Amino acid sequence: MSTEVLSFLFSIVFMSMIVNTALALYGVLARPSLVKKIIALTILGDSANTFAIMVGFRQPSGTNPIPPVLLWKPTPSNIRYFISHAVDPLPQALVLTAIVIGLAVTLFLVFLTIQIYRQYGTTDVRKVAKLRG
Amino acid sequence: MAFVPPSPIYGLSAILLIVAAFAVPIFTLFVKNKRFYDAYAIAFGVFALAISISIARKVFASNAPIIYPFGGWPPPLGIVYEVDMFGAVIGLLISSVMFLIIVYSTWYTERLSGYEWYYTLLLGLEAGMLGVVYTGDIFNLFVMLEVVAISAYGLVAFYRNRPQAVEAAIKYAIVGATATTIYFIATIFIYGSYNTLHMAGIAMRNYGYFHLTFPGMLNYLPGVFYGNMLISACIALALSLWVFTFKAAVFPNHFWLPDAHPEAPAPVSAALSGLVVKVGAYASARFMYTMFGLGSTELLNHGIAHGVPPPRTMFMIALGVMGALSAVIGAIMMGIQRDVKRLLAYSTVNHIGFIYMAMAVGVQGAPRAAIALALAAMVFHMINHSVGKSLLFMSTGAMIKHVGSRDLDKLVGIGKVMPVAGATTVIGALNLLGVPPFAGFLSKYLLYQAFLAVGMPYLAVLVVVASALSLLGYAKLIYMVVSSKPAPVAPGSIKESPVVCGVLIVLAIATVALFAAYPFVLKHVFVVTAQHLIDPRIYISKYYEVMAWMWSSLYGG
Repeated sequence: MSTEVLSFLFSIVFMSMIVNTALALYGVLARPSLVKKIIALTILGDSANTFAIMVGFRQPSGTNPIPPVLLWKPTPSNIRYFISHAVDPLPQALVLTAIVIGLAVTLFLVFLTIQIYRQYGTTDVRKVAKLRG
Repeated sequence: MAFVPPSPIYGLSAILLIVAAFAVPIFTLFVKNKRFYDAYAIAFGVFALAISISIARKVFASNAPIIYPFGGWPPPLGIVYEVDMFGAVIGLLISSVMFLIIVYSTWYTERLSGYEWYYTLLLGLEAGMLGVVYTGDIFNLFVMLEVVAISAYGLVAFYRNRPQAVEAAIKYAIVGATATTIYFIATIFIYGSYNTLHMAGIAMRNYGYFHLTFPGMLNYLPGVFYGNMLISACIALALSLWVFTFKAAVFPNHFWLPDAHPEAPAPVSAALSGLVVKVGAYASARFMYTMFGLGSTELLNHGIAHGVPPPRTMFMIALGVMGALSAVIGAIMMGIQRDVKRLLAYSTVNHIGFIYMAMAVGVQGAPRAAIALALAAMVFHMINHSVGKSLLFMSTGAMIKHVGSRDLDKLVGIGKVMPVAGATTVIGALNLLGVPPFAGFLSKYLLYQAFLAVGMPYLAVLVVVASALSLLGYAKLIYMVVSSKPAPVAPGSIKESPVVCGVLIVLAIATVALFAAYPFVLKHVFVVTAQHLIDPRIYISKYYEVMAWMWSSLYGG
């Protein structure tokens, strides 16, 4: 694939990530429904994860990168090839951790929303207002 | 020289407490006796306290940070814990106050259903806080912040059938979850251009230690491989400082605190107000001093344009303005509260403002000795506020539990029926106000001196003004106790628990003891801590030393 096409695709991913983040922040802060806030929050988390994966990406000269798993016999020349061609595995590990944490937080928020619905009969934050703020 | 692996206690406390917390639900299958869970939580509280004391003693004895690489992975790989003096002092503060809170909780949960889940969350909270202060890795900081945050949301919503509690929790949790995700984005920015997640590694890049070569195969590590370091550092700092000021409840981000802290059970309010907000302040100081500190080349010596202050100075000005505003606004809002716990919550906003003001004086061009004084005052004030605020939340918590109301007017005259809680409330209020026989006076005085020494007299005046404004709020508390009006409940109907009295008296003695030990602790603890915080060279060189040792021992060096 030529460099122009690749960098074009790269910028599309990058721009859509920024737009996604902005939309998700709008959803969390401005939408009144708690369920929509939680959906926006998961979109924000996913955009952050995409960004992390993108930072780990690299383009070795001319070829596609290989996954960060060494599948051949680890001879010195194989290892050298692997180091110069594999994508960075660390952001993938970070994303894995962030996904697990995001799952826990989302579950907790969903539980709290159910509890709000039981107490107030609505999930609209404008009507959930017993506190003075 | 062969590498001597450090003792595993440095990495133990956070992991041990998390395991202890998650073991509680398993125990509930077999044991139904409340005494067992009390003893269990106290045992782990003592254990964490013992570990923190031993870490603090070792760090102060060796006069250098201690590095603990997890799983024996040599430093640029894997997670490291790096405990320096600042971390050791705050860790000791966290585990000692948490121990008292756990002891108090054994009384508070007496007639509470679901105390086993309460202890799960409380131990999880302590684990997260200790992890934040001992870690040397910004992604591990994110994980530990999430542990603190989830435990805190759960504890705020502990009375899950009380509408206000659930509402406060969801308000806190939605914005808190957004904030931690944004911190994750900040760590990715840093990783993208610094190629490391270790605080010492990032500081190494910022201070331009590129000439240090890595032993063995790691010569490819230094160097930038993604984007512009200055821009991504600025973006990452802007994002992460917003998150930390949210966690610390500094002025525009304080909106969740006056709801969340009062709705939690009393010991939890003490932990949230006394300790959890300090975690945010700790992380801000760690970022602004150790990692992106004074003299770091990228941020300080390259101003954007002529006449524009360098980016780090601008961040500091923003933090200082936010701190000053929250000191004043917290003080004013204290005066108009009718709810005891809301009053104390706004007092937290006020004191966190002082802490951020002290943090913000460390700009380039200010005299180093004066900055060290300000940071010493910051650490001292963090300790005083933790002790004083947890004392106040626990003493008023006992009153609220007996009387059944949080209204200041309904609690008037309580001192006659609850003498110990009343006396310690007065001591706590005077300590936070800054009245001489208590340590709060000394830390405010030190702040005042530091602002004058650094050449910012308006901040010094602001400390006095904000303290004077907060007098109204503390006077309400003191009046509530010493008023001659008849007590809200019949005399003799309340018997103060010896556990509660013990905890409150220990905390009250601590305020006086810190006052008495002031010359000693200032010289040997706070000033040393501040000097190490300002100058991260030891932090970096210790890290480099361990890294070199471990790689050379790997290669049979």
